[in-house]
Amino acid sequence: MGIVDLTSMAEGQTTLRNEINERLLKLKSEISDYCFQCAKCTSGCEAHKLLELEPHKVVALLKRGLIDELVNSDVIWTCMSCFKCRERCPQKVAPVEILFALKNMAVASGKQIPGKYTAMLQSILSIGLIQDVQTVSTRDNKTKKRDDLGLPEVSKPVDAVKFQTAITKLAVEKV
Amino acid sequence: MTKYAFYPGCVMPTEQYAYEVSIREVLPLLNIDLVDVEGFSCCGEPMKSMNQLMTLYLSARNLALAEKQNLDLFVPCPMCHLSLSECQRVMESNTEMRDRVNSMLASEDLQYNGSIDVVHTVNLLHDHIGTEEIKKHVKKSLSGLKIATHYGCHLIRPSEVGRPVDSENPQKMETILKVLGAEPMDYPEKLDCCGAMLSANHPESALTKTGQKLQKVQEQGFDVFVDVCPWCHRMFDSKQVKAGETVAVKLEIPVMYLTQLLGLALGVKKEKLGLELNLSPVDKLKLGDK
Repeated sequence: MGIVDLTSMAEGQTTLRNEINERLLKLKSEISDYCFQCAKCTSGCEAHKLLELEPHKVVALLKRGLIDELVNSDVIWTCMSCFKCRERCPQKVAPVEILFALKNMAVASGKQIPGKYTAMLQSILSIGLIQDVQTVSTRDNKTKKRDDLGLPEVSKPVDAVKFQTAITKLAVEKV
Repeated sequence: MTKYAFYPGCVMPTEQYAYEVSIREVLPLLNIDLVDVEGFSCCGEPMKSMNQLMTLYLSARNLALAEKQNLDLFVPCPMCHLSLSECQRVMESNTEMRDRVNSMLASEDLQYNGSIDVVHTVNLLHDHIGTEEIKKHVKKSLSGLKIATHYGCHLIRPSEVGRPVDSENPQKMETILKVLGAEPMDYPEKLDCCGAMLSANHPESALTKTGQKLQKVQEQGFDVFVDVCPWCHRMFDSKQVKAGETVAVKLEIPVMYLTQLLGLALGVKKEKLGLELNLSPVDKLKLGDK
């Protein structure tokens, strides 16, 4: 099972997509009752100034049911998940959670996934961690490994095959 | 000695060794016994944008492994801490999801029961060990040291999930640092994000966030910038030069993990705190054994 299968429009993804869609519709119904577009989320958004993310607009678009448009937009990938919008919303709406659901939908629909996410997933599949142990350098350019520093071996899944099977199942099928 | 299972996560044990070295050196001095556990995996939080169920499963899996030790879990990474805390919240409030996750965990003979707590470095030091106890161990006062703290977004928000520190006015690190004799001070950009989560797809913007915050810290004349998150530290320390180039400012701010600075105050030699691994100019501080 490779990364392409995991993120492609494989048959198994249909159930996953249905599930995420349910999640989005639930979020939509909650928002319709509460969000009054005060834009406090956007005023504090860490990604707003740099990347023009406007959480209140994401909420407004979801409220109008424009899920496909949002899923296809690059803007959903500019959120840096600082959780300020969720923390500060006077109506307890959580734009950051809407963005997570939208990104999940983009992945389950086989859209191209930006940047290093696929590499991280691939690494989790093979060793359980988002990256393997690195050799680092000191301020005076000496290289150091974990054992040079007296650190024990890193904790990783013991039975890699069992672990991989569980994760793979989760990414493609209904569980 | 109070025992905790030690959950290292991904970033700290694969590259942010200064945090791990200083934790393993300093916490035993404060009567904390860390127990290494086999079999942990990523907490799942970095995968939240791809598949939230995977995040939940991975967190539950790690909690279930820790439960087998019958020990509370020490989690030095704020992102892991949030993921594990959120998992506990979902598993407690949604029995359907709990059964579903548990049926998946069965393939590895694991089960989530919700019997343990997760503790981050800051609340371990502030709430569990306590500043009174820390005070007793101080050998070398950090007097006169002007410190800017950085908690990391995931440690303070969302408070709805239950975070160890206040979301809008976090002060626990300040309280600890005052006990060490230092002078922590608030600054307008204190709650700003490091930008690390953008590294996966907008690396330039991530570095801009880092550079902008450090520039403000530098302008305000702080001696040292202290953090408690391996992701944030990777940005502020490991990538400080690049961050400076991105915002066209020469950044020369010493950045340290709280546990490193604490170690210095407790009289630990700097060689034992991984200080040679900090890439920011920590030598400027003239601390440690003279």
